[in-house]
Amino acid sequence: MIPRTAPTSIGPAQALAEALTAEYAAIWAYGVIGVHLAEGARQAARSAEAAHRTRRDALILQLSGGGGQVPADRAGYALPYPVTDRTSALKLAVEIEERTAGHWRAALPHTTGADRNRALAALTDCALRATRWRRTAGVTPITVPFPGRPV
Amino acid sequence: MVLTCPVATGRTTQHQEAAGHSRRNLLRTGALVALGGAAVPLAGCDLFDRGDDRSRGPDPLEPLAAESVALEARYRAAVAAAPDLTDRLTAIADAHRAHAEELRKVIGRPAPSGSPAAAPTLAATDPDGLVAELRQAEKQGRENAARACAAAPGERAALLGSIAAARATHVEALA
Repeated sequence: MIPRTAPTSIGPAQALAEALTAEYAAIWAYGVIGVHLAEGARQAARSAEAAHRTRRDALILQLSGGGGQVPADRAGYALPYPVTDRTSALKLAVEIEERTAGHWRAALPHTTGADRNRALAALTDCALRATRWRRTAGVTPITVPFPGRPV
Repeated sequence: MVLTCPVATGRTTQHQEAAGHSRRNLLRTGALVALGGAAVPLAGCDLFDRGDDRSRGPDPLEPLAAESVALEARYRAAVAAAPDLTDRLTAIADAHRAHAEELRKVIGRPAPSGSPAAAPTLAATDPDGLVAELRQAEKQGRENAARACAAAPGERAALLGSIAAARATHVEALA
């Protein structure tokens, strides 16, 4: 599972590597989530997964271009709880987005310029998807004051 | 130690804050020399000073903090005008208040005096119009926060990123 809080005393490459690991886990999780959703929400899950794949690919390019370590994907990730129905699937979707947002947020202090703007765009996209999933799940409020901030 | 620190930081007390403003006003009229540092206690110079750039003039995050305060006020005014919107808007108003509080902590000095928050003016009177107006304000606010995040030193970037992302989710929530 994606760690809930990202380490604070890390460098830029390490921060982006953590974000990449979070993206791997998000992509994997959406495979589990999608099968429990009806068509409309399933389509949203597919779009979310595609967005995470795009971020993943960009990160792999960026990290390998910088000569840094590119963490490998794993065959599977531990779920925080069993995902057996629509309710638990939507709950996991919200959690995946918030945790991935947390890793992009943790990259912000370690980046500047275009890299920081990319990290902010990724954080914002995760926060928006978390909000939409809360709306789909009927959870209120559908927003949080500080997306990605460790709780 | 004391002499290495610029005066008129206006950081720790209301008195200093007022002095800081008068100094800036004088700066604008070109009468800097007249004031010197005499009117301002040479306090607040310690190991925790964060450098000259931030102790001169207003903090670059003041506009964003003021915007959070103003956004909260607009939401409260909208709820007062259309109580049916209470459930939808209260959490967002609370978020803006939380943002303002966190920004104030990061800025590390009281809100500038002499800039009382203007009473929010809402053009619309019907719920749909109010929501549309707030949504437009959030869009602008999101852009402002993203710009502040891009320009900020690393230690402020995470908070500003969360504020920009939160404002984006407010736009979504009001859709």
